[in-house]
Order: sequence, then structure tokens, then C-alpha cells
Amino acid sequence: MFRISNATGGYGKTTIIRDVALQVAKGEVVALLGRNGVGKSTLMRYATGLIPPMGGQVEIGGQIAPPTPAKRAKLGLGYVPQGRFVFPRMTVTENIAVAAASNGHSARDAVAEAMADFPMLKPKANDLAGGLSGGQQQVLALARALAIRPKILLLDEPTEGVQPSIIDEMAGILKRINHERGIAILVAEQDLDFCLSIASRAYVMEKGSIRLETDRESLKADKALQQQLLGV
Amino acid sequence: MGIDYLATVLLSSLSSASILLIATIGLAVVFGLMGVINLAHGEFLMIGAYSALTAAQMGVPYILSIPIAVVVTMAIGAVVEMLIIRRLYGRIFDTMLATWGISIVFYQLAVLIFGTVTPGIGMPQYSIRIGAYSLAGYPLLMIGVAALMGAFVYLLMTRTVYGMKARASIQEPEMAQAIGIESARVSTLTFAIGCGLAGFAGAVLLPIVPATPSMGFAFVIKAFLTVVVAGPVTLTGSALTALGLGGGRVDHCELPHLGCG
Repeated sequence: MFRISNATGGYGKTTIIRDVALQVAKGEVVALLGRNGVGKSTLMRYATGLIPPMGGQVEIGGQIAPPTPAKRAKLGLGYVPQGRFVFPRMTVTENIAVAAASNGHSARDAVAEAMADFPMLKPKANDLAGGLSGGQQQVLALARALAIRPKILLLDEPTEGVQPSIIDEMAGILKRINHERGIAILVAEQDLDFCLSIASRAYVMEKGSIRLETDRESLKADKALQQQLLGV
Repeated sequence: MGIDYLATVLLSSLSSASILLIATIGLAVVFGLMGVINLAHGEFLMIGAYSALTAAQMGVPYILSIPIAVVVTMAIGAVVEMLIIRRLYGRIFDTMLATWGISIVFYQLAVLIFGTVTPGIGMPQYSIRIGAYSLAGYPLLMIGVAALMGAFVYLLMTRTVYGMKARASIQEPEMAQAIGIESARVSTLTFAIGCGLAGFAGAVLLPIVPATPSMGFAFVIKAFLTVVVAGPVTLTGSALTALGLGGGRVDHCELPHLGCG
């Protein structure tokens, strides 16, 4: 359903990821694990088209992804970046509405749906997104990504700087939208517990490449691997 | 000094400020939303004035020549954005140089096409009396026009999908693209709207400021000053600054006439 093949990319002349291949099946939740600086975020940005590829390609829903980020979003690629990057001087409602409207969906429906999915956003509906707490912004960034009605959701470090209570809530929400709407999820994380709670499979990255692929059970069992790769 | 004198001075100051705001607002939109200082803004104003004048000379009623001027300047603005400005985003001095060049080209084209002297269409002749003083009506009408223009831009930016896309694109350009906003198209439209507002200004001010090829120079310095003093962000800033800069200079002229500042 979602496939990255031979991905090579980086910034300027510096290559950060080399020949990365991974895939996410329809309705699957897959984790992308690895220490800081192994290229997880770069791979995510490669997948969205925000950095120009040096090689390789991305497929979304069986189609080869067009080069621009906007066209990939229209094909069903939702992206929640590390650091959230909500539109700070727009209201919570506008953040969600603009994402829906830019992809030809009803802004009103998208906002209503988001408020039902994330009740914590309701009292903040008319506040500027820049004034929300880190956790609230994270939830808003997620709601914004869902407003484009994605087939695949890329989450980059969604737990970073978020209080534990909201992390639990987020895991619950992600599981629910995955079950109910069949949205596939690829989540880059350092928080192993969070990943183990939602993902059924994981790729482990090291130095810009995929080092191994594992499923939840073997990762849970293999304490040595956890220690070695993630430093937990 | 009677109350009538005071009212006269206040009203002329206000209309003078309104004229400055009308001339400036397009520049503020382009600078605020794109970070592009359009030194050809005055020439777009000139193009708007000539479009309206030409339409009026061909028999179109003056009021209908205004939308014609807007369409012409928006189209030219869109072409200029796609051919030139698009390549220079994020390079503020390069865009200034390029738009300055564009302004020279437009000025010379206007000289070639229309010559250096053109008859104005004459101010609609009506005036109001306040006590012992008489004020021309058309400049006073500009107070209302400026308010309407401000309201239009405000609603365009806050209540429309285009406005949300434009704001999203300036606040987080990468994320705007990642959620499906075609930012190149939004930028073209924003620049075209800025130019269209200049064209509207040129057309609506035609009875006060006759169309001449060099009219852009007289406007652009004041317009530029207004935007820079106001800062890149807010419309309200531009409005207030226009009020300050426009209101302060009314005593030099008999009528609020931008050419004589």
C-alpha cells in the first residue's frame, strides 16, 4: 500500500539515508526505531517530498508518488512532523479547516469530526494554535493530518515533549483511527513503550539504513537488541 | 478658528490618509504575505489608471472601468510573478532590483504608448460646504472607499479558503505544502491580488490623480514608507501609518493630492 524503495537522500551534497526500503500494508501500524541522528526524520521528509530525492521512489496506494508534497498529500499521505509545526497565528479550527479545504474536503465536516475525535481541542477551538501546550499542539497536528483523509499517516516523534497522560491518550486515539478507518501508520519514535503499544512490526535504522526488520513479539523479548539499538 | 475650519481640516486629513491607504494596501498585502517588496507597485497603479482611462475613453462608464483595471493589473501581475518573482523568493534585494527593473520597463512602455501628457477625466464636480469652507466631494468619498478596501482585504484573509492558505503558507511554508497547499499557485494569486489592488487604486484615484507615465514614482515612495513604518504584518498598522503620514501633510496642498507632497 505504502512503499519506499531505494530511498537515497539528504541535504545539499550530504547523503543521510542510503538505499532505504520499507513498506506498510493497508491498515498496518509500523514503527521506525533508532537512536537520534540515524536518519528517521530525513526518511520521513523524503517520503513527503519535502527533500528532493537523490534516488529511489515512493508509492502511495499502489501509485508512484508525484514529486511535490502537495500532490502527495492529495494522494493520501498525512504527515505529522517532529516539532509539530502547527500554523501558530491561525486558530485551532483554521488549522484543521485549511488542511481539509486544500484537499477538496468540506472544512466544516473535518472540523466537526476532529472535535469529536479529540474532545480536548473543543474548548480551544478559537484559540491561536501558537498558544497551545506542546501536547495540545501535537494533538492538533495529528487532527490536521487526519483532516486530509489520509491512507497512510507518517508520525515523526509524536511523543517528544508531550506529557505522559497525553501520550497514553494519543496511543488510544491512534489505535482507534487505525481500527475504525483502516488508516495505515508509520511512526518514527525513540519511545519504545509507545511503539510497542501500537505497532505490530518495526524497522530499526542505523547510520542511514534499515538494519533489521522485526515484529512486536521478538522486539519485546529481545532485551539485548533493545539495549544495543535504542539505549533503553 | 471656528469649528467649521477644524472639521474641514480633519476631513481633508482623513481623506488624504485614505488616499494613501488605498494606494498602499496592495503593497502591504504582497510584502506581508510574501516578503516581497514590489518596487513596481506604483507602475501597477499607473497601469490601473491607464486601463481605466482607456476604457473610459472608449465609452465605458467610469464606474465600470474600475473592474476592468483590476482584471488587467491582476493578469499582468500573475504573469510577472510566474516569469520573474517566482525565481527570487527569499532573496529580498534581488526582488527589489528585479521589480525596480520591471517598473522602468512599464514606465517606458507607458511613455511609448500614451506619451508623457494625458488628459485626466476630471473630478466629478460636486462639493460639500462646511460653514465658510467648501470641500470637493470625490476625495471625501475616498474615506469610504479606503474603509471598504480594508474590510475587503480583512475578510479575504480571514474568511476565505484562499486567505487561510495564504496565511498558512507564510507561517509554515513546508507544512503548508505537506498538507496539500499548492504554494506556488497561492503565491501567484497573492501577487496578482496585490497588483489588482494597485490597479484598483490607480483607477479609483483617477479623478484626483491624472494618469501619467511617471505617476508611479510619486506614489511608490509614500506607499513604501507606509508599509515599512507599519511593519510587514498587519493591515491595521498600515491603516494607522497611512493616517499619520497622510494626515500630517494636508496643509501643503489645497486638495489632498498625492502628487504635491
